[in-house]
Amino acid sequence: MKVKRATIHSYWLMFIATVITVGIVTSSQLITDRIGLLLDRQASELLAADMVIVSSNEFAGDYREQARKQGLQISQSVSLRTAIFIDDNPRLVELKAVDESYPLRGKLERAGEITGERTATTEIPSRGEVWVDTKLTQLVGTKLSLGEQSLEARWLLTYEPDRGGAIFNLAPRVLMNIADLSDTGLVVPGSRVRYRMMFAGAQADLNRFKSWLSANLKAGEEVQDLENARPEMRQALERTRKFFALSIVLTLVIAMAAIAITARYTANQEAPKVAMLRAFGISQFSLLKYYLRQLGALWIAATVVGVLVGWFTQFPLQWALDGWFGRTLPQVYGFRPYLTASLVGLLALAGFSLPYLINATATPPMQVLRSGGNRRSWMRGLLISGSAIVAVFVVLVILMQSSILAVATLALVLTCALVLPLILTWMVKILLVSSRRRFWLRQYLLSRLQATSRGAIYVMSGFSLVLIAILLIAVVKDELVGEWEAQLPENIPNYFLINIRSQDVDGIRSFLQAHQIEASTPYALVRARMSQINSVDVDKIKFSHPGASHSVTHTYNMTYADEIPDQNKIVEGQWLNQNPGLPQVSVEQGMAEKLDLKLGDQLTMTVGSKVLQAEITSIRSVVWENFKPNFYLITESGLLESFPQTWLLSALIADHNKADLKQLLKTYPSITLLDISELMARVRAIVDKATVALQFFFLFALASATIVLLAAIQTGKHEREIESSLLRALSAHTSQLYRVHVFEYTLMGALIGFFSACFASLAGWAISVYFFNIEFQLSPTVWIYSLVSACLVLTLAGTMVSRRVYNISPMKILRS
Amino acid sequence: MKQVGKTVDTPNGKLDILDNISLDVKYQEAVVIKGASGSGKTTLLGLMAGLDQASNGDVILFGENLTHQNEEQRSSIRAGKVGFVFQSFHLVQGATAAQNVMLPLELSGMDDAQQRAIASLQQVGLETKTDTLVEHLSGGEQQRVAIARAYATNPKVLFADEPTGNLDAVTGRQITDLMFHLRDQSGTTLVLVTHEQELLERGDRQILIESGKLLTN
Repeated sequence: MKVKRATIHSYWLMFIATVITVGIVTSSQLITDRIGLLLDRQASELLAADMVIVSSNEFAGDYREQARKQGLQISQSVSLRTAIFIDDNPRLVELKAVDESYPLRGKLERAGEITGERTATTEIPSRGEVWVDTKLTQLVGTKLSLGEQSLEARWLLTYEPDRGGAIFNLAPRVLMNIADLSDTGLVVPGSRVRYRMMFAGAQADLNRFKSWLSANLKAGEEVQDLENARPEMRQALERTRKFFALSIVLTLVIAMAAIAITARYTANQEAPKVAMLRAFGISQFSLLKYYLRQLGALWIAATVVGVLVGWFTQFPLQWALDGWFGRTLPQVYGFRPYLTASLVGLLALAGFSLPYLINATATPPMQVLRSGGNRRSWMRGLLISGSAIVAVFVVLVILMQSSILAVATLALVLTCALVLPLILTWMVKILLVSSRRRFWLRQYLLSRLQATSRGAIYVMSGFSLVLIAILLIAVVKDELVGEWEAQLPENIPNYFLINIRSQDVDGIRSFLQAHQIEASTPYALVRARMSQINSVDVDKIKFSHPGASHSVTHTYNMTYADEIPDQNKIVEGQWLNQNPGLPQVSVEQGMAEKLDLKLGDQLTMTVGSKVLQAEITSIRSVVWENFKPNFYLITESGLLESFPQTWLLSALIADHNKADLKQLLKTYPSITLLDISELMARVRAIVDKATVALQFFFLFALASATIVLLAAIQTGKHEREIESSLLRALSAHTSQLYRVHVFEYTLMGALIGFFSACFASLAGWAISVYFFNIEFQLSPTVWIYSLVSACLVLTLAGTMVSRRVYNISPMKILRS
Repeated sequence: MKQVGKTVDTPNGKLDILDNISLDVKYQEAVVIKGASGSGKTTLLGLMAGLDQASNGDVILFGENLTHQNEEQRSSIRAGKVGFVFQSFHLVQGATAAQNVMLPLELSGMDDAQQRAIASLQQVGLETKTDTLVEHLSGGEQQRVAIARAYATNPKVLFADEPTGNLDAVTGRQITDLMFHLRDQSGTTLVLVTHEQELLERGDRQILIESGKLLTN
């Protein structure tokens, strides 16, 4: 009975560490799957589907049949520009004809009048009716002539999930039933029509369909999915996903550090038992079998408990998100998260503890007679480190599903694991040398930290790794959230004023200024098509990027500017006008990558019937999420000024200014107001959701770190008791014992805090710049958090856990 | 010690470890405690040194009755007047020989701890090893450091629990010689627990203890 109790005691820390690892993996897999699904659905709403094929021609392929075979839902829409007449004045509208299944994701919203209640609906316009944009309010209730048909404008269309990408480019929308389209006679050969076939369904079905599509897509057809849908959405989603992956891995590193620390502790505890059993003639092989059985039992028990813990911990996040957004996280079915978690638990447990236990089984029987620790040969040292590295790597590959990312993370972990003990040992040595005159307290503690038997340096390194992981999550989270907030500040524009005539620009600016309405710089819009790159016709160029062919056939809104627009940054070359006399153009980075454009390339653009040529002199990064006027192509003013153009600007129009809009529209009837607050609110909701999820992961990491801390403190408990007992026998007072511990933990905290801040800042920079593509700013708060938290947490937790030590009887030293 | 008893709680009820022990140790006397394993020798040594508290009876050390004092008060009574040598040496790993000897001196607030420590190490013949880390010393040398540490405060009484128990015969004899040599020099009272015949013979008086009772005084 006693033997059993002793065994349980020596294994319980390792058991808890494994439970945490399995729990973290289960929970994070479930949560990321659920959040991912939620984000996908939200993003899908912006596509109105999970995937869309877009084409300028009617679809030739049998996509509908193939998609149906894969069990996907299908919907089709056709859009084109046409003119309607309002009071005998022609007005360009964006006509969209949809079928009964539209939209596959999200819902349309409509209202009876502009001030009326907006309601979500699953209906689409019935035959014989259309729904019109809020900019066409005056048409509701009237008959609208569309080609050869006359249709009734029945509702105001207040929200449409898949409103196009370049939001300021939109003419007012008119939505109709696709069954009425042929009767209008608007679609004739040669019409500029966009056909969209939308698909929605389970990810696996979509993937199958997508791979079939890749071989069957016809020229001029482009697939849009969540990854390439809207530029302003894409970046936010991508960063969120990357952050989830990073958080899970770092949290897992913390949990695995706990397994490593506790495995070492268990092996040390087992060494005397092994020595005794070997003295009785038990073979190393038999001992190994015994420990494998023990580890197997531990793994099974820890997996069951860990999976349960992980399953339960997904609920706090669900409650948090439900409370915030009134929406339930979608359920995830299947065993994959649980199987992955148990596999990771097994790998981590085996990788970290097995080599230690193999080493323990080699404890010489002489240790029964003379205790002196089981010295490790370099071969065994190699086995221990090699096994740990392989375990971490395999776990990373399983979880990240990317070996490059796994190698990068492994490199980071290894650097910390190898360099930290060296630096900490070195620091302790320097401090030791710095003062030899007095021993008590400072040097006594430093000696204890240096003593290898205590493993303090390893525990400190483990704790540093944990702190670095936590700081990294915090640093990157703050950078990420900060970046989002910088792009989505409270006062971002909520309206675009488009179709402004050149002669009205100054008047409109004065009007806005007089009414204290904040507005952006106005930009001219000149519609152009790309006809040649380096004098080669674009339709003869074979682009490597799949979306390139659509980009070149697209009509662009070019602009000209003397100064680089807000939040644009030159990544290559020089801004325009630095080299006057030469026609120049600045290209957006994404477009340059898509079309393989580089500095010095000549672009030939067709504007109306004229052709102009310009050299690429700069490549710009653009923050698409900022809802300001953004452009793929910008030229110097001299090149475009003479072409026909309209202007646009963005403005922040507060509720109390909305009445002024009527006056504005009355004075300048040609302009169109585009309300983007709805779309903006949806993007902001995604960012907010992601932020809550990020904070949750941060808490998760903190909880695991607490366990590591307790495990780390626990591993030195026995030695600490013996030392306190010795000091007691040497007549130390309680206050002196107390000082020893406070000083020890504070010193450890300061060393850990200092190096963790160093590493976290370095790694934070690398991750931000190379992984998330965001600017990194060295934050002094990281250093303050690191030093203060390490000192405070270690000192408080350490002295609390060690409080029994202050009452330890000096008799213990006689009996030890 | 007057009618001292020590009782502890066990899962099977109370257990008397020491029962009605009365004895006196005179100034500069060398008393050796012997007895079978589990007879209560170490408990008796702990009570005499004030490391433990008696359940009943009176333990008088330097004129103070330790029975009713708490650990803090007993610690103050021991400070600077009592030295210890343990079977397993109990030195601070990672520290040098001199630093180990300085530890009780600095705990007692002495300013010249370093000089005293070096002097004490000279007395035990380790003047060349003052800056050597204790884990690099042999077992005999480590016990010498422990003896130097014990004598560094010029204690009035030195308590030793099996001081040669972890050493070979030759080294054990050297350590015994050293302890008695220092005792002769300093006039320190010695109280030792041992099984070693040589140590038993060197004592002025032997105390035999069996099943918690004093058989020979």
